[in-house]
Amino acid sequence: MALTGLDIFKLLPKKNCKECEQPTCLAFAMALANAKTSLDKCPYVSDAAKETLGGAAAPPIKLVKVGTLGAEREMGDEVVLFRHDKAFYHPTLLAVEISDKLSGAELEAKVKKVNELAFERVGQSVSIDMMAVRNDSGNADAFAAAVKAVADVTCFATVLITEDPVAMEKALAIIGSQKPLIHAATEANWEKMVELAKKYEAPLVVKGKGLDATADLVEKVAASYKELVVDLGTRELSQSLAEITQTRRLSIKKKFRPFGYPVIAFTASENPRDQVIEAAAYITKYASVVVLKADEKSQILPLAALKMNIFSDPQKPSQVEPKVNAIGNVTADSPVYITTNFALTYYTVEGEVSASKIPSYILACPTDGTSVLTAWAAGKFNGDKITEFIKACGIEETVKHRNIVIPGHVAVIKGALEEKSGWKVLVGPAEASGINAFAKGNFA
Amino acid sequence: MEIIGERINGMFKDIREAITNQDKKPVQDWAIKQTENGATWLDVCVGPTAGDPAAAMRWLVNTVQEVVDTPLSLDSTNYDVIEEGLKLCKRPALINSCHADRYKIERVFPMAVKYNAKVIALAMSEESGIPKTADARVALAMELVAAADEFGLPLQDLYLDPLILPVNVAQDHAIEAMETLRQVKMLSDPPPKTTVGLSNVSQRCNNRKLLNRTMIAMLMASGLDSAIADANDDDLMETAAAARIIMNKEIYCDSFVELYKTNHYK
Repeated sequence: MALTGLDIFKLLPKKNCKECEQPTCLAFAMALANAKTSLDKCPYVSDAAKETLGGAAAPPIKLVKVGTLGAEREMGDEVVLFRHDKAFYHPTLLAVEISDKLSGAELEAKVKKVNELAFERVGQSVSIDMMAVRNDSGNADAFAAAVKAVADVTCFATVLITEDPVAMEKALAIIGSQKPLIHAATEANWEKMVELAKKYEAPLVVKGKGLDATADLVEKVAASYKELVVDLGTRELSQSLAEITQTRRLSIKKKFRPFGYPVIAFTASENPRDQVIEAAAYITKYASVVVLKADEKSQILPLAALKMNIFSDPQKPSQVEPKVNAIGNVTADSPVYITTNFALTYYTVEGEVSASKIPSYILACPTDGTSVLTAWAAGKFNGDKITEFIKACGIEETVKHRNIVIPGHVAVIKGALEEKSGWKVLVGPAEASGINAFAKGNFA
Repeated sequence: MEIIGERINGMFKDIREAITNQDKKPVQDWAIKQTENGATWLDVCVGPTAGDPAAAMRWLVNTVQEVVDTPLSLDSTNYDVIEEGLKLCKRPALINSCHADRYKIERVFPMAVKYNAKVIALAMSEESGIPKTADARVALAMELVAAADEFGLPLQDLYLDPLILPVNVAQDHAIEAMETLRQVKMLSDPPPKTTVGLSNVSQRCNNRKLLNRTMIAMLMASGLDSAIADANDDDLMETAAAARIIMNKEIYCDSFVELYKTNHYK
């Protein structure tokens, strides 16, 4: 967002010397805000002011990349506080932590297990995004060995967690070319960490203690390196959420540059179930990376699902995959319903069909995620289109009968659909809430 | 949309007589009526004829506060009179108004900060009058914004008035006022609030209410946050309620007009 007249005025020398050809500094600020003059016209403006004015056009939160090739992920570059205002663009990256205290077969087994945290869900493949290796041993060689074990098998980007520059250097010698996330530059080690990050062109986490100290440290580091991720150092959930919220607000609403970077969060609880809940809170509240120790599929899947939901575009209707869905223990004689693939419509129908306790098929007809009446009005849910889908989706090979239930609101398409498809059409209830009674009356 | 109810003003005969006779009833009746119809603020103005304007202001403020807790807009060109009122206000008040002249700003802005009051600031100076073009009005608005920053008056407490004139004699001004409203919102972050003396647009015109409510919808689309207006003009209030809905400022519901009137939009 462009700077306002007042923002610019505050950066000007307030000499009212007229050398810029404007009567006052205030008038000059207004002219600048309206792009009617240029900053070079003022000979007295400070370098700091020039940088602030120049940086105003930059996005509020920098886009930072981690990993290479298929494992590459993007962080940051968000513009809103609430997804309904526009959308959240870059889904939170989930990183599962591996301790370098493990070794040998134990380590190998752990790395293999984490590497397999990938799933199929509603027609999409989802997985964790990163493996984090933590230098718990305090030993640089043990850290390097653990990093090597990860590097040998991983298909994910990595996070390297140690504040010891020697250990970090050894680890980067192994995996540096894959652009891992370096965690972390602190007040004590930041010069050396920046050097390493620069050498491998890898993103660097700046870890402070709370809002003020972290902002100061980020400012120092950003003077020489800008591929940064912020760690506020806070691990207690409520405090951490409050602070991350502040970084998002300050960067977007106040253009506060030290927090204009993605944020990393760590779950603190020992209990894996609590870690999942913590991670869920961070996914919803602005963390770009969440590191957790929980590594069971049952623990990661709900987080992956939450990510998909939170980072979906609210402007686009949510859709289900257009296909034949079997509800209950279906047979070749089970009844067949058809509805649209708008998620709201589909799941309303699905809920009522399963409540009827009569195993059935539901066809989710592709209507670009629009509801029954909208799709019908747009010519996406009529005799032709439904026939096309009946022939393509495989239902004719699945059931022996040729009876299909259509939504009551589009009873008018009955004739055309029967004629085109050769199926017998039953007009169902206008509202899905009538399905139970309808099913009992017709199919029980 | 904050409606600043305009009716308790010594320019109206019933209020003038009430002040003279110290008769609370007409004042309190209007305070209640305007509040019930959705006024966010009540403007109080002693009018030109009061013998002791400070005493009249004190009496008006106390009289109104006996029956409603709606915050007050203290309307006077005499800042000592306003200060008398500010001392008695139970809730943060609105100072109506301050010109963009430096000596007025220096008197009003520190007073506003002292009493935690908000200020209606006019995009005009006493010496040069009302500027014709939007650019000239915005330049004055910028002076006021910079001054608010200087004196520590929160920008959201500054109500910039781009000034509107009667459409029968100054027809070319309304469009400039709308453009001013648009630009004023770009002056600072957070932006200042905006207000107008709405009924002014239709002075001595036919179809006053139609002009007023059409104007408020157009001004709201340009960035108007509040207006000094007739809170008991139901058509006007309904137009404001509808404009809020159309601009996605409130979530739609079937009873949006009733909700607008009861919520006061503070």
